Amino acid sequence: MNIFSSFRDLLSTRHEVAKNWKAKGKHVIGWSCTYTPEELIHAADALPVMVFGSLESTKLADVHLPINVCSFSRSCFNSALKGDYDYLDGFVTSSSCDNRNKIFDMWRYYVRIPYLHFINTPRSTTELAHDFFYAEISRFKTSLEEICRKTISTAALNRAIQVYNDNRLLLKRVYDLRKMQPPLISGVEALEIVLSSMVTLKEKHNDLLNRLLAEIPNRVNPPKRGVRLLVSGSVMDNTELLKIVESVGGSVVADDWCTGSRYFWNLVDSGSDPLVAIARRYLGKIPSSFMLEQKERFGHTIKIAKQRDVEAAIIFVLKFCDTHMFDAPQLMEVLKDIGLPVLCLEWEHSLSGMAQVKTRIEAFIEMVSGVE
Amino acid sequence: MTELKLERRLQATRGFYRNFVKEFYRDAHKAKAEGTPVAWVASTFPVEILLAMDVFPVWPENYASLCAAKRVSVKLCELAESKGFSKDICSYAKCVVGSLFERGDLPERGMPKPDFLVASTCACDTHFKWFQFISRHLKVPLFLLDVPYNILGADSEHLERTHIEFYISQLEELIDSLEKQTNVVLERDKLREKIMLSDRTSQLWEEIQKYRKTTPTPMDARDAFSAVFFMLSIPGTQMAVNFYEKLCNEVKERAENKFGVIENEIYRLVWDNLPPWFDLRFFNYLNSLGAVVVAETFSHVWTGRLDPSKPLESLAKKYLSNFANCSIDRKINLIQNLVEEFEVDGIILPTNWGCRMMSIGETIVKETVYNKLGVPSLILDIDSSDWRSYNETQVKKNVEIFLQVLSGKKQGG
Repeated sequence: MNIFSSFRDLLSTRHEVAKNWKAKGKHVIGWSCTYTPEELIHAADALPVMVFGSLESTKLADVHLPINVCSFSRSCFNSALKGDYDYLDGFVTSSSCDNRNKIFDMWRYYVRIPYLHFINTPRSTTELAHDFFYAEISRFKTSLEEICRKTISTAALNRAIQVYNDNRLLLKRVYDLRKMQPPLISGVEALEIVLSSMVTLKEKHNDLLNRLLAEIPNRVNPPKRGVRLLVSGSVMDNTELLKIVESVGGSVVADDWCTGSRYFWNLVDSGSDPLVAIARRYLGKIPSSFMLEQKERFGHTIKIAKQRDVEAAIIFVLKFCDTHMFDAPQLMEVLKDIGLPVLCLEWEHSLSGMAQVKTRIEAFIEMVSGVE
Repeated sequence: MTELKLERRLQATRGFYRNFVKEFYRDAHKAKAEGTPVAWVASTFPVEILLAMDVFPVWPENYASLCAAKRVSVKLCELAESKGFSKDICSYAKCVVGSLFERGDLPERGMPKPDFLVASTCACDTHFKWFQFISRHLKVPLFLLDVPYNILGADSEHLERTHIEFYISQLEELIDSLEKQTNVVLERDKLREKIMLSDRTSQLWEEIQKYRKTTPTPMDARDAFSAVFFMLSIPGTQMAVNFYEKLCNEVKERAENKFGVIENEIYRLVWDNLPPWFDLRFFNYLNSLGAVVVAETFSHVWTGRLDPSKPLESLAKKYLSNFANCSIDRKINLIQNLVEEFEVDGIILPTNWGCRMMSIGETIVKETVYNKLGVPSLILDIDSSDWRSYNETQVKKNVEIFLQVLSGKKQGG
């Protein structure tokens, strides 16, 4: 179906699209953590784009960074040094892990960019934390207004909430297409759809999603039936690993990562003060592993595993991602407790050592198929 | 390698392990047996609160360094890895996680089982993730302080008000929870007393550091990394004050008599981050080459003056400005001050395999300090407790080349 290539095109042309947007005299703001309230950027009439890494070598970043550092953050920093993101009017990040916090120093010292902003995100969700985060979000709003030279009105915020909530509901409907057996869309396609939503104006993305949902019931070549898998992890900003999984008999029908369900699962409450509602939504969303609520995080993973009838799980741990390295053995135990076979894999963003990874995935899927 | 002559080592820290550390763990086990609540504490948690509530604090990080010094840490790390933990996580954490599964003998009979755990998000992700696991595994409650990151690298006088307020409010809630947990009411007078003692500890420690500015320096890193134990573990106690008074007098006397760590002091160095706990003789090796560490950033992380009339606020300021919680600018400022005040020739910047916080940014430090003050740095790959990836020959070769560079600079080359 053509519609899938439209999402893929959004990804491959994202830099050009952003530059065209900028050519209209508007701003482009890069962000790096899903705790960044994009609605504010949208309401300032700027284009929010997630900063991804690339599969190229990271030799520019390697000059500044030791080996034992998150390879996703390394790759993003490398892309910035290389000039891939020269069009950005600003970059905003969040205090969501040591790698991010410390690499933000690198951005400050070595990347030429007009505006850098840091959101202090609490790791707890008590009322005290919500108050603190609201103040941080208000500070971000003021700072965006200055850099974009635009007042962010309540009406604009409400519009942004509407369009973002629409996107979330549509993405959820897309995810529901994988509840079926066999699923109507593959894991690779689902990932491309979510990733493209992170770099595209949401109105445009919503149009495409509506088209997809209208056309999909008539899909002639749905993905092949395979072992129904849950994938877990932090960031997955390219589709290479899932392509491997789905080429050896896996069928990815659920995920709990930042570039998947954790990105869009929760809605902003549209009935109340927009800024308060936005702040509460982001801090209170399904927690990432840097948040203190480990039980809630695992709870979400188990819930989607059950809802989607998964038969096995693969935990992808990005090397040197501390919070996930600590969670992995515990999540493994939790998933085994509900009867799922689990494979835990450490991977490098540059995808080095993929041959071995492929062999392990293949052996795992064979093992699971044999059990049935 | 020539060992440091015994008479040149400080009296106060002689037999430190036997006299103080072993004693500390013996007391901890005794306290536990007598029914005193025991808490496992992550550093950068304001321990003064626990001391004021008669809780016995035990430090897993200290225990890990002890296991490294006793050369059992790698065995424990491997045990943690066999339970699914990555080899790339903090070796302190691996070591302690391993100790939870170890069925055989452990140094000091292990740590006494905790009644509860306390940690803060102040220094790193590892602290709370590691304690979260311990809490799950041992089924004991964990109390956490959620500490904002000090992105501006502000010192204690220039912190953002919202950060201080968030910290204080949480501390108040946490005290309520601890009171319920222990059935002990925190007496504010007692807290003030602990704060006063903790402040006195910091003051003495700072004074000791001041005497190290003398040429030749009277105290080396090996002594500092032992003696900092009190500063870290029990700063709000008379025991800590007594020890530092004694140490301070000795260091002062040596400084006045120009009695140095080594007879012929050639290179004065700053040491960043942690030492290789499994090989503290590394500092003696430096001494044998005419080099001496006159200041460690570590020795300046744990101090912080406290005002007994504002106990919670001063704890907030002390920990929010701890440089583990700050952008790299704060470390750069500290190192630059040390270089100038201690007349330093070179800086050693050890990375730590399992620690992002200590590993990222050392290149910025190296470049900035060199550009501003012309003082070179050496980045060394060292882990605090896991020697499997420690290449001693390579590390020593790098050190020797570095000292040659410093020598060239000294001769105006």
